[in-house]
Amino acid sequence: MKVFPPQLWRNKETLYTLIAGKCNKCGNIVFPYQEFCNKCKSFNISKIKLSGKGTLISWTVAYQNRPGFEKTTPIYVGYIKLDEGIEIVAPLTDVDESNLKENSRVEATVRKLKSDSTNGLIEYGIKFRLV
Amino acid sequence: MVEVLIQDSSMLKVDKHYEEGLLDLAIKASKEILNDQLKIDALIVSNSYSEKTADQVLLSTKLANSLGINTLTFRIENGDASGGAAISTAYYMIKSGMIKTALVVGVEKLGDFPMHFVNDIISQNLDEKFSYREGLIPQSYSALRMKMYMKKYNVDYDYFTEWPYLMHKNGAENPYAFLRFQADKKTISTSQVVSDPLRLFDTSPRADGAAAILMTSDDVNLKTEGKVKIASITSANSEFNVLELPAVREAFNKTKDFKPEILEIHDSYSINAALILEEIGLEKGKSLSMLDSIQVNFSGGLKSRGYPGGATGIYQIAEEYMQLTEKFPGKRASGERGTVISTDELGTTSYIINLQRC
Ligand SMILES: [Zn+2]
Repeated sequence: MKVFPPQLWRNKETLYTLIAGKCNKCGNIVFPYQEFCNKCKSFNISKIKLSGKGTLISWTVAYQNRPGFEKTTPIYVGYIKLDEGIEIVAPLTDVDESNLKENSRVEATVRKLKSDSTNGLIEYGIKFRLV
Repeated sequence: MVEVLIQDSSMLKVDKHYEEGLLDLAIKASKEILNDQLKIDALIVSNSYSEKTADQVLLSTKLANSLGINTLTFRIENGDASGGAAISTAYYMIKSGMIKTALVVGVEKLGDFPMHFVNDIISQNLDEKFSYREGLIPQSYSALRMKMYMKKYNVDYDYFTEWPYLMHKNGAENPYAFLRFQADKKTISTSQVVSDPLRLFDTSPRADGAAAILMTSDDVNLKTEGKVKIASITSANSEFNVLELPAVREAFNKTKDFKPEILEIHDSYSINAALILEEIGLEKGKSLSMLDSIQVNFSGGLKSRGYPGGATGIYQIAEEYMQLTEKFPGKRASGERGTVISTDELGTTSYIINLQRC
């Protein structure tokens, strides 16, 4: 077993629903969520759910991978500006390369990331697809 | 005020040392600079990935026991910038007057594994909650950087070939280099695509290595051939930024008046070399076309000397020390002041170490 349930469970808000932290003092958004604003150093942070909608600024296609991700290789990776204003690097899915363009609209969707073995635990997470 | 000197260095050829383990390599590099008269006050191991690569922790204690040293020991880990962090630690300890001598040993084994497994090791540099779990690899971050740089400065892929071309030319003369061959620009520009537009020659060959540095206060007299003073050390960190390396810029700005003549920089990717050079003063979008104007990475850098993980920064210091004391067995640089820029894989932390010939 290489996948341990607590590791996945505690990250569920990050990996399934894009929960971020928003500073009530300065408005700074931190993703993944943390209880501290790294801009103004405030502890006054609220959990917000990012819309998962954004704009594709750039993308790359990776031909190398890591153990467990062989089946989804090559992996398309986007540099995405979310509508809340923050920029993230995240996998793309359902890609038809001819449709990928700068400033394409994208949205988050939950997909399988990898499984521990043929009958082991399955890890899910967010990927982005063209709207 | 106490001055901090580097009085000796050693390094093994970066290679796939299948016959030797982590500790074996560390002992080999250390014994080159140890002698009976020398009292070591601190043994610092610079290593980033031993838990995953060698199933080992407690490295500094084990190395001290192997070397018959009974002293203050610890390991410093800060990703690929571990070397810069370890040297900084020894520097401040000696500067404080609390200790007089430190043996700093960089060691790493990345050569035992297939590529996708090493990718997993290196990906530990990404944040755990999202990026690591999502299956991303750092090469994709560098590819995005490269692509956005190409767009911003209107350059094509050929612009980037200048870096690996020069590194392999330099490294071909370095007997300690892992990939000691010259590479023509066509070989570079047609090499395997790792993460488009990033190609194999833009990345760093992962291998094993060990290097050691002997640091002392200026009142320790040893019969070594050549001394170099650490003029200053600065550091900074920042979050990942696509087209900038604020960590390098801020650390460099704290020490702008040093004006180094020789540079060793952490060129994990060709784009990182460009961004580092531009943060320290070369024209943005043009740095890789201006390489004739500077003395940089005469070792061959990470492309040719190779990439021994958390030992890399110790190699860089050893190379500059040998340049400044005119002992480097490869291509020789000229000058009395050298700077080492030790960073992590993506340049979010940096240590700038300024060295001056005594
Ligand atoms: Zn704030």
